[in-house]
Amino acid sequence: MKKEKPNTLPPEGALGDVGKGGGVRKRIVGSSTFGVAIILLALCIILTITTGDKFLSSENFLSVFRQFSFTAIMAIGVCLVIITGGIDLSLGSVYAFSGVMSGIAMHWWNLGTAGGLAVGALSGICFGFANGLFITKLQLPPFIATLGTMSIARGVAHGITGGYPISKLERGFKFIGQGYIAGIPAPIVLLVILAVITSFCLRKTILGRHIYAVGGNEEAARVSGVRVDRVKLFVYAFSGLMASIAGMATAARLGVAQSTAGDGMEMDAIAACIIGGASVTGGVGNILGPILGAAIMGVLKNGLVLLSISAYWQKAVMGAVIIIAVTADCMRNRKK
Amino acid sequence: MKRSKSVLALIVAVSMALGLAACTMPGDSDGAAATENTGDAANATDAADNTEASVSDASDITIAVVPKSLDNSIFLDSKTGAEKAAKDLGINLEWVGSAKSDASEQVTVIEGLIQKKVDGILISCNDADALKDVIDRAMDAGISVATFDSDSPESKRIFYAGTDNYAIGAEAAGYMKELLPDGGSVAILTGVLGAPNLEMRITGFQETLEGSNIECLPVMTGEDDVQKSVEVVNQFTAANSDLDAWFFVGGWPYFADPEALPEINTFMKNGGRVISIDTAYPMLQYLGLDMVDILIGQAYEEMGYIGVTTLYDAIQGKELDLPEDNYINTGSEVVTKDNWEEILAGKTPWE
Repeated sequence: MKKEKPNTLPPEGALGDVGKGGGVRKRIVGSSTFGVAIILLALCIILTITTGDKFLSSENFLSVFRQFSFTAIMAIGVCLVIITGGIDLSLGSVYAFSGVMSGIAMHWWNLGTAGGLAVGALSGICFGFANGLFITKLQLPPFIATLGTMSIARGVAHGITGGYPISKLERGFKFIGQGYIAGIPAPIVLLVILAVITSFCLRKTILGRHIYAVGGNEEAARVSGVRVDRVKLFVYAFSGLMASIAGMATAARLGVAQSTAGDGMEMDAIAACIIGGASVTGGVGNILGPILGAAIMGVLKNGLVLLSISAYWQKAVMGAVIIIAVTADCMRNRKK
Repeated sequence: MKRSKSVLALIVAVSMALGLAACTMPGDSDGAAATENTGDAANATDAADNTEASVSDASDITIAVVPKSLDNSIFLDSKTGAEKAAKDLGINLEWVGSAKSDASEQVTVIEGLIQKKVDGILISCNDADALKDVIDRAMDAGISVATFDSDSPESKRIFYAGTDNYAIGAEAAGYMKELLPDGGSVAILTGVLGAPNLEMRITGFQETLEGSNIECLPVMTGEDDVQKSVEVVNQFTAANSDLDAWFFVGGWPYFADPEALPEINTFMKNGGRVISIDTAYPMLQYLGLDMVDILIGQAYEEMGYIGVTTLYDAIQGKELDLPEDNYINTGSEVVTKDNWEEILAGKTPWE
């Protein structure tokens, strides 16, 4: 019987996947991430033309970048889950819960900035790990397991705060959301750092290869000696951690931690991954994709505000543009 | 396999324990007036059968207060008021609602309360029409129902205690005319689209400014979310250097830290004007920081207090001396830089 060798390498077309000689340009241009980048560029050009210099001003640019950086951080986390063929619906709730826990650590337990960050991150990892356990040990479908933890995390956040926002956060903590490093808003710097580290792990480490392997063909991966359960536990814990970082960064940005934050944000993060080229069936995706996907949605939202499109029509316009953009990209991929 | 079964059993046990704890625990964590709730539901059943004019023992009576959602901080003041009233009257209070501002979820909550046979329901409606039927059903089932903050006027509810939303929108427009004597453009920020109270405020504002030298720009939304509101306001303000004023139909941006609103700070320093609805405790500081001109507040605590006490009278079969149209106007308060500290001193601090 033929033993199928699993595809343990990053898939064809992952941006930056340098091949031999002249094939590089063809690979980059042919990749789906490139297509998404084109869509983003087109959007930016259209907005620059229609809004004059409002869109392109450095102030607006940085503001938009900062705004979608929170979604992008969350999207990076769930991207790994999607590459393994799973899904994580608990993101928005873990985002709020971690913000609340870090707020409690600083405001009530007086643990300082470091303590706040540690408690918040731990909260995210715990929920992520719980998701992983439900999926691997109890064999629950990821959709169901994370739907459950979505409710639990949100409910616990509401329960312990009683709906009251937690304010008076530490100065050092707030810097992560409100500060500037070399003129660039801190959340953007945070996003870049996290993206570089995650991309490196995904492309250059054995764990990264195993993540793709599990998504590409789980049984084949298992048979080849990949510890599938451990890989899954890792990606869900990582997703929880990224959601918690995004949640704490947002609480830092606003200066308040709220149990109501991030409602529905998991859909934005997942959409960012799919727009960015990840496949719901798994095995495909990279780190630049979700960032570009989040950028497209952020730029669109900003454009609707700058063009003074009435709020009542904004959602319809947003949905239509996303469908047009993704369809154009699909048609381009089919032509190849 | 055995291990999986025991893990599963453990999880089921923990979930049940959590559920039991959630159902029997008081709703808040800030030690506000003690609220005995579902523990006394059994007694409430007996009281609910008492639809005649005979007076029931206060401790047997349960009133459920249903805000638009449990995740909107603006209702916390009405919770305080309702709890005060419940303590004064010696009745049971339940603070219950849907997690999000969703009309159909709210209908489900009311249906649950009808099954539980509470004595009274005080509700802030997410949608006037969507809640009408279930309010009527509750009234037909012998439960006294009243609305607060956001009404369902076509329903059988006994009374509505709240702000005249059209009037405060018009009041804001009046102040805007004073702040912009030479005219200009005003941006409007709203929350969840279609919410009757918010829509009335916008209508009151826009209609009062019709024909004046002030132009109302298309409505922007923050969807009742603080972060979204902050981003929309910051981006729109930064992108429109010729903007003269903002009208916040609800004070969502002012739930955040002052440092999160640098564009508003700059805007006001450059002569921009801002009027915002709501005078919740964390918002008042912005007057001292020159980051808002006028706050027009709703008396949320009053709504909760009067709502519960009047509903109690209705349950007890007392003659209610209601104003015209069964509308109890809980009024509004106008807070400016001149009186904000005085108003702040009179409010219950948050945590």
